[in-house]
Order: sequence, then structure tokens, then C-alpha cells
Amino acid sequence: MTTSTVDSPARRPSRGGRVVRYVLLVVLACVVLGPIYWLVTSALKPTADIYTYPPTWLPNPLHLRWANFADAWHAAPFGRFFLNSLIVTAIGTAGEMLCATLCAYAFAFLRFPFKKVLFGILLGAMMVPGHVTLLPNYLTISDLGWINTYQGLIFPGLGSVFATFLLRQHMLTLPGEVLDAAKVDGAGHLRTMFRVVLPLSRPMLITAGVITLVAKWNDFIWPLIVTNSTNMRTVPIGLLFLKTQEGYNNWGAIMAATVLVIVPVLVVFFFAQRQIVAGLTQGATKG
Amino acid sequence: MVAPARLSRRTLLAASGGAALALTAAGCGGGSGGNGFAQASGDKVPDEYAKRTRVVVWHAYSGNPGTALAELAKRFNESQSDVYVEAQFQGSYDETAQKVTAAVQARKIPDLVTFSEVNWHNFYLNDLLEPLDGYFGSGLKRSAYNQKLLSEGVLKDKLWWLPLARSTPIFYYNKTLFHKAGLPDRGPASWDEWYGWAKQIKGLKVKGKQVKMEAYQKIDGDWQFQGSVWQWGGAYSNGLNVAIDQDPAVAAGEWQRKLIFQDKLAYMADSPSVDFQNQLIATLVTSTGGLQSMTEAAKQGKWEVGTAFVPKKEQQVVPTGGGGFGMLAYSPKDRKQAAWKFVEFCGKPANSAYWTLTTGYLPVIDAAVDEPDLKKRLADDPNFSTAVKQLDIVRKEDEVRLMVPNANILIYTGLQKIWTNNTPAKQVFADVAGQLKKATDKVRKNIEKHV
Repeated sequence: MTTSTVDSPARRPSRGGRVVRYVLLVVLACVVLGPIYWLVTSALKPTADIYTYPPTWLPNPLHLRWANFADAWHAAPFGRFFLNSLIVTAIGTAGEMLCATLCAYAFAFLRFPFKKVLFGILLGAMMVPGHVTLLPNYLTISDLGWINTYQGLIFPGLGSVFATFLLRQHMLTLPGEVLDAAKVDGAGHLRTMFRVVLPLSRPMLITAGVITLVAKWNDFIWPLIVTNSTNMRTVPIGLLFLKTQEGYNNWGAIMAATVLVIVPVLVVFFFAQRQIVAGLTQGATKG
Repeated sequence: MVAPARLSRRTLLAASGGAALALTAAGCGGGSGGNGFAQASGDKVPDEYAKRTRVVVWHAYSGNPGTALAELAKRFNESQSDVYVEAQFQGSYDETAQKVTAAVQARKIPDLVTFSEVNWHNFYLNDLLEPLDGYFGSGLKRSAYNQKLLSEGVLKDKLWWLPLARSTPIFYYNKTLFHKAGLPDRGPASWDEWYGWAKQIKGLKVKGKQVKMEAYQKIDGDWQFQGSVWQWGGAYSNGLNVAIDQDPAVAAGEWQRKLIFQDKLAYMADSPSVDFQNQLIATLVTSTGGLQSMTEAAKQGKWEVGTAFVPKKEQQVVPTGGGGFGMLAYSPKDRKQAAWKFVEFCGKPANSAYWTLTTGYLPVIDAAVDEPDLKKRLADDPNFSTAVKQLDIVRKEDEVRLMVPNANILIYTGLQKIWTNNTPAKQVFADVAGQLKKATDKVRKNIEKHV
């Protein structure tokens, strides 16, 4: 046990320094939350108030326009859009996490020829911009007859380098003793993965899962390219229906629709945030 | 040196798609051979329409225009028993064009597409559009269309693109501010008269802020500026010969630079329309398609909008913009004939009038203005009729802007330098001209073969 040094009064962080840090944090919070505040308050304003100069920062409490939400919901089939996004996001996230987990486990724990080379290729794939593969993906999905289908929306997103890499890095940090103990007890790979590795990786799984889920929920380009009809559109594309290129834009309804789009993601993050913080912290300290 | 336009995923997709189009055209030699491409996927056809020929229309209209086109498709489907039209919204004109590129690559295409006045040229140059001349008949006569708008779709004596959602720049003014400044309630006859009026606007304030006279659009401002260049007696290009670095265009650029930095009466804005709606500027030259939103905003802000012809300098002339129908050549014959039936339907005066009233786009069928509802609107609302009357002075856009990829981006990024950096127009346009000449030379052979 190391004897702790008694702190001299001069070395305690000064009260002034702490105040400065709090001020900086408040400023940063304002910068980050400012646009969100504007979004939420605009969703409750009549359109005329949104346009006015100088800006009206506080919506008039007597004239909150909840009708913006109804206008948005009825301007395009948002119920259908939400269902589509829910289906694609849920199945897509589950599928992607399954692929990533199996792949990460293989890279972390299996011995096979050219493992390093293959891992290098995997990392290289992360460097390829998504839009380079957009047209080849489209042609492949089209040949499969999956344009304007759920499988067309879901399948190209199943292979994920980011989640694989994150999980593999985490799995490498797991204590060797636990894994050795499992092996001594006769556990094969499947049992090791499900009973030892996955429980120990729970925070990181949730972190990668939430990041994947948010990316899929927000995805715009691929759903725009691969779907043709309104019935198959997801919510980010649904927002396009509210905005015209030349004419009058009902910004109240557009803002309200945008609030509807981001609320599910905020809810998911809220419930998962303890795990996410744990996952990121763990990764940071042991990576 | 003008910085190259920032590469974005859309730009790269368009570029790679353009190359892919060229390959497709080469690979599909043999003209009318085969059965044509498969049809783009969509929803299940309703049972009552199952025996009909299905036509897929890809369009770029959301909001009111989207609703109007869907309504026309619905009415069409109910009006006859041979064809079922499915109208599918695909995003902006650029997004729609990119999707058509991908669809052609996949050989699963829509039958009819709404292209912008610029985008259709890319498909024409790659031999993907169907000439429409042979389809006119008793159902729809060529002469039914406004001939100026129709002629913009003609190349090599054939018609490739039919007007639908057309607009022009128009001069908007704030009647209320004009009144306060002691100005007459009309548009200025010339830019010089406008300049004199601009000086009278000085001193006017709205919500404590000095009112300016005009704002220039940061993105896509090259469309309105093309009109300015013409008004000053110049052009972006004569045929494929770049002319933006010649004196009339330079003079137009210098006029705007002086207004911004010397007179302090103008500025560059992200959204001039919103600034106009907030009465931060007294006048604005922008699309006729925005009239409805201007009127609505003015009503809410308790002031009044006026419209007039865009003023003249050496000439009084404006460009057109907007979209129209193009038919894809690789669609099978029966689907093309079926698609034409929908075009005919949209070309009926009553339907053209409905489209104009709902969207604010110009009436492209001459007889539409005689339909009772539209006739009444034009009579009751002088602002609404200004754009129709201004059709007499419209002109097709310059060839380089229409046919050279990214020409519009090169020009408006150059304009941004004039409007924000106070860079002399001569210098900026010399750079832009150099860029345009290089870009033009890359595609010159193909354009000359097709024009």
C-alpha cells in the first residue's frame, strides 16, 4: 500500500478554475442544444412566427400550435413511414449486430491462415466511401429483384466494419484466465461465445447496437435510391414530402415532423445511456 | 482561381452515373431491337386495374405540385380503362435524374420522367430519350402548347422534352415599402429607374433594420444572373463558345458588386425569398413558382406583394426554368404509347389549368387560360397574370449552362466571389470562362453530334 501524500492547501484546485470549467461547459451545452431548442420551439409556433425577424425565441404560450404535428402527420403517410423505418431499423440492426459479433469473435479468438491479411482488408473496407458502392449495390439488389422491398432496404447494410472492429477490439481485452477456465471446463466456441464472451461484452454490444440503430434510422441516401413508391419510404425521406422546391413551405409542420423523427432515437439513447457510457469508458481505458 | 465545386456524394454519384450512362448507350446498340427494358418496381397494382397496361411516372414534385400530379394520375386512371398510371416521387430534379441513371444501369426503368430544363440534356446526349414527334395526333396537337416553351425541348428538329412545370424569374416588390418611400405602385421600366428608386429606399427601416433593395441567391443564383447578363446585352455562351468573360456579362457583374460594396443596397443571401418575406429587401428577382408563398407570408406580415416584368437594361428578356416530361427510349413500345395517353391527359386545357392553379407554374397549354377557374384567377389576381404575360419575353437558356456538366456550379461559385469577396467581375469571369472552356471541350464532340 502506497502511502498517500497529504495534499497541501496550495495544490487543491482553485475555486476560480472550477468556475471557469463550469462556464465553458454551459457554453458548450448552449451550442449543442441551441439548434434542438430552436427545432422544438419552432414546431410549436405558427409559421409566421418562425419567419419573423428578429427571431422570436420563446413561443407564445397562449398560441402554441400543436396543430403543426397533426398537419405533418397528415401531409404524407407518416404512419406508414414510421412502420417502414421500424421494420428496417429493427431487422437491420439485429442482422448487422449478428454478423458483426460472429466476425469479431472469429478475428479475436480463432486461429486461421492469413488472419492478419484478412483483418487488414476488413479495415481497408472501412476506408471506402459509402457512395462508391452505391451504384454496384443498386445493380445487385436490382438483379435480385429487391428494388422497392424490405429486403432491398435491409441487406446491403448487414456487413459493418465499424461494429465488427469495435467488438473485436473489446473482445481482445477480455481476461484470458476466464476464457481458459471455460476451455478447461470443456466449453466449445458456441458456448464460450454465448456464456462467456457476450455477457462480458454487454456494454460494448449495446453501444455498437445503438450506434448502428441510429445510423439505420437516419439513413437517407440508400432508402431514397432503392425505393420507388411512397408506401416503401422511410421517415427521413418522408420529410422530403413536406418540403417543396419552389413554393410555400409550412415550416411549422416540417419542424414538427422532424421532432417526430428524432424522438424515437432520443428515447433509445435515454434508456441505453448508462450502458453506452460504460462501454465507451471501458473501451477508452483498456484500448 | 475558382475552387472546384466541393465533391459531395450526390455530385460523385451523378458523375459516375454519367459515365455509366455512356457505357449503357454503347452497350445497347441496335436501336429498336429487343423488347425494351423491364419496368421500375412499385406498389402492387390495385385489382380493378390489374388488366391494364401499367405506366410508371417518376417525378420531382412534393408539396402542392406532388399532390396535384397524384390527383391528375388518379383522375386519368378513372377516366379510361386501358392504362394505369403510377406516379412515384423521387426527390429533387437532381435526385430523380440520379435515380434514372441507376435505373437505366439496372435495366428497370420508369416510362415517363419529369426532368429539369438542364437535366434532360444529359439523357438526350446519351441517346436515352424517345423523340415525341410521332405521338401527336387528334388527342393532343403540337400546336396546343405554348410554342416558346415547347421549342425549348427541340433539338435536331425533334422534340424530346415537353413542358409541364415551367417558371421564370419575375420581379417582386413590396408595395407597402414602395408606398412609404413615395414610389409609384408599379415595377420599374428599367434597371436604371430601379437604381434611382433604390436611393429613395435608403432610410427606411423595418424592425429597426435598414431595408435594402435586393438580395442575390447564394446557391443556384446563376439562373437569375443569366437573365441579368442577357439584359446587359451579353450571354454565358453563344452556342458552345463561352462568352461570360466578355464585356456585357462583366458589366452586369460589376453592377451588382457596386450595389453591394459601394451603394450598400444589396447583399448575398442564403434565402432571399425569406428575407423578402421579412421585408428586409424591397425587391427581388426570383421564380414565379414562389408567388404563392410570397403572398401568404405578406398576408401574415400585413404588407402587400406586387409583381412586374423583370426590368430591362439593353434588352428586356428572362430565362425559363422548371421541369417537363421526357420519355425513356428503352421502354417497350406498348408502354410508351400508354405513357403518351397520360401526357395527352395532362395536355387537356382543363387539366393544364388545374395544374397551374394548384401549383403556381405557368400554363403550358395555350387554351388553359380560357378555362373558367383559371380565367377568373388571372382576372382577380394581377400578380398571378404577370408571369403569364411575361411569357412573351422568355428565351431558352444558353447552351453551355444547359449541356455542360456542372456549368451552373462553376458560375454560381464565381458569383459568390463577387458578392462576398468584392472580387472584380472581370477577374472572376476570366477564371470561370477558363473552367467552362475546359469543361466544354471535354463534351464538345458529343454535343456537336447531337445538336
